[in-house]
Amino acid sequence: MATYFLRRLLLMIPTFLGSTVLVFIILQMAPGGPIEQIMLQMQMGGALGVEGGGGSSSSITDEGMSLPPEALKELERFYGFDKPIYQRYLIWLGVWPREIKHRDFTIPVNQSSFEKRVGKKDGQIWKVDISLLEGNKLIVTEKNQSTKSLWHAKVEEIDKNGGLNGVIFQKEFSGILTGNLGKSYTYLQPVTEVMKPRFKISLFFGLTGILISYLICIPLGIRKALSHGSVFDFGSSVAIFIAYSIPGWALGGVLLVLFGGGSFLDIFPLGGFRSPSEIWDTLTPFQKIIDQIHHMILPVIAWTIGSFATMTVLMKNSLMENLSQDYIRTAFAKGLSEKRVIWLHAMRNSLIPIASGIGHILGVVIAGSYFIERMFNIDGFGRLAYEAILSRDYPITLGFLVIVVLLRLIGNIISDLALALVDPRIRFK
Amino acid sequence: MIDKEKNTSIFQKRWQKFKSLRRGYYSLIILSTFYILSFLLPVIINNKALIVKYDSDYYFPILSGYIPGKTFGQDVPGEAKYRILKQSFSDEDSGNWLIMPLYPYSPFEDITSEGNKMYESPSSKHWLGTDNTGRDVFARLCYAFNISISFALLLTVLNYVFGILIGGCMGYYGGKFDLFFQRLIEIWSSLPMLFVIIIISSILKPSFFLLIGIYTLVNWISMTYLMRAEFYREKSKDYVAAALSMGQSDFKVMFKHILPNSLVPVITYFPFSVVAGISALVGLDYLGFGLAPPTPSWGQMLDVGLQNISKWWMVFSPVAAQFLTLLSIVFIGEGVREAFDPKVYSRLR
Repeated sequence: MATYFLRRLLLMIPTFLGSTVLVFIILQMAPGGPIEQIMLQMQMGGALGVEGGGGSSSSITDEGMSLPPEALKELERFYGFDKPIYQRYLIWLGVWPREIKHRDFTIPVNQSSFEKRVGKKDGQIWKVDISLLEGNKLIVTEKNQSTKSLWHAKVEEIDKNGGLNGVIFQKEFSGILTGNLGKSYTYLQPVTEVMKPRFKISLFFGLTGILISYLICIPLGIRKALSHGSVFDFGSSVAIFIAYSIPGWALGGVLLVLFGGGSFLDIFPLGGFRSPSEIWDTLTPFQKIIDQIHHMILPVIAWTIGSFATMTVLMKNSLMENLSQDYIRTAFAKGLSEKRVIWLHAMRNSLIPIASGIGHILGVVIAGSYFIERMFNIDGFGRLAYEAILSRDYPITLGFLVIVVLLRLIGNIISDLALALVDPRIRFK
Repeated sequence: MIDKEKNTSIFQKRWQKFKSLRRGYYSLIILSTFYILSFLLPVIINNKALIVKYDSDYYFPILSGYIPGKTFGQDVPGEAKYRILKQSFSDEDSGNWLIMPLYPYSPFEDITSEGNKMYESPSSKHWLGTDNTGRDVFARLCYAFNISISFALLLTVLNYVFGILIGGCMGYYGGKFDLFFQRLIEIWSSLPMLFVIIIISSILKPSFFLLIGIYTLVNWISMTYLMRAEFYREKSKDYVAAALSMGQSDFKVMFKHILPNSLVPVITYFPFSVVAGISALVGLDYLGFGLAPPTPSWGQMLDVGLQNISKWWMVFSPVAAQFLTLLSIVFIGEGVREAFDPKVYSRLR
């Protein structure tokens, strides 16, 4: 068993690489990759706004011209667009050195060495010597010759006077494998920093939703299975059909109209994760709890509806299937009470399919909420990703995908593990 | 006369069973009637007249398209305004007449044309009110019905064609081909589909068919996996060996012999795939990554409705339309499943 899961863990690696390659290629090859997009925006003088009407607060698109050429160059260097795509991918992954801290310099004609100030080290100005070798190669040496320089230099172009335009940079292995997801264009912060609070919000919502749907669906499914064919079974089936035929988020919209104070009742707030911080900070702890619940009721209902139908039916069918098995008949035959047979014998086996779904929770929690978060104006993970696409914030888009793919792969393994734990018949080899 | 009892094939028996399940059968009849009718929508719901008789000449604006208002002596720039024209004809009593479609509003005409107002609440004139640009909600709803169903049907058929082809080959040939596609499927299914579709359509700004293409590209795996299992199972059966020993080609064995025996999952999943297709289109349109703007779509209507939350009809109408459509498809699906893939549970007592 342990070998099986070890192998599964190892197999995660090629799958993960495969899916990242795929997404990376889609994003990089697509007309309108990050650089082209920004260049286009500059050429159009910012006339090309974000389409689709999303409420994005993008500094690039709002101001149009806000990206100066130096920034563009920096961006190009950050993504290594002068390099072939496989290198770009490896850099992004973090297994190929990324060039950082670019500094431009010019070596005048007929001069073969150059002193460049590159920054500060230990509180002192840090200067290095750049010398020109045969064939326009550059070599960087520290002032004290003993240490090997951290800096590398290369020639970018030769201007018409014969001077050399070069760039000096450091190399660093930093990519998704080292936890560096890049820097967001729109938030101007590291992607991980932007994601953290939003991830928590989504997790909070998702877990609440999942918990509530388990609490409703499992008992309901059991009750339906036990009273199969009864009025209760029929009545709840109607509810299940309705829930299956209407996406949770669309129902959320209806709930907003009904209870959000637009046309009918004004019971619940129109959206948001909780009251804005100015109000939130003045509340007592008890009021905070009330406020939080008040904001969460509608989105959580919408959330729960999404899995309500399938999970209830799954529970019902699973229990009914078990109740029709021979071992149940045997249990009855040897005179066990009905309660004991159902709750101890049948129930344990019926929960197996539900348990095996546990691993997928995380993935669903994270990726399934663009709609609800957009509808209820919750600043969560899904909405972040959605707005990143609108504003072409590629580092966030890619980062989101990386996280979702990882969560899904891990979720699959957890599911198998859970299945193996609850079902002693299952032996993975 | 041939004895009917004897000659019913398994398919006919299942069809009989399906027909006996009222809910699904009636849903199928009603839904397909509406769907077929929805292709006649330009004649039923439109702002162009069907026939105009003017000065002993007959015009058919619905066929010939653009006819300037001056042709009918109407003093308006551009195209004739048929609803006003009808009014003026009946006022004049000059022997001129025209027949309007049953519901004389087009899904595209907004406040720029003849007396449309924004945010009109439902009335006998606009059955479901008007939206933020004065377009008639009911007309858009009906046109969107046709587009949604066509989209989902095409999508499902395409998905199934690819799924059957690839999955069939995987199950039938096995080996490296199977292994390669298994890895590919694993990679593919680790990606969040909807997000990938959003990314691609944010780059490409898709048309109807391009959107179907993108969706198929992303979504072919579900049927592939089912068909792989089916073909794998059927392959080892005697009739396949018999067909092969008679010198049938692989192609014939796969599609003439095995496929008819593995159609149960295809048929039982079909309605639910259509449900998924419609939901996906509504979702994409809601997010603004679906069909290009003027196209009537439930998702876009819902989006606009939610931006104007006090105009309840703009939210309720698309949700209700989607709900009723999906509900009837779910009923069909339930009936089909009952007929084709019945689960028999012995009862406790």
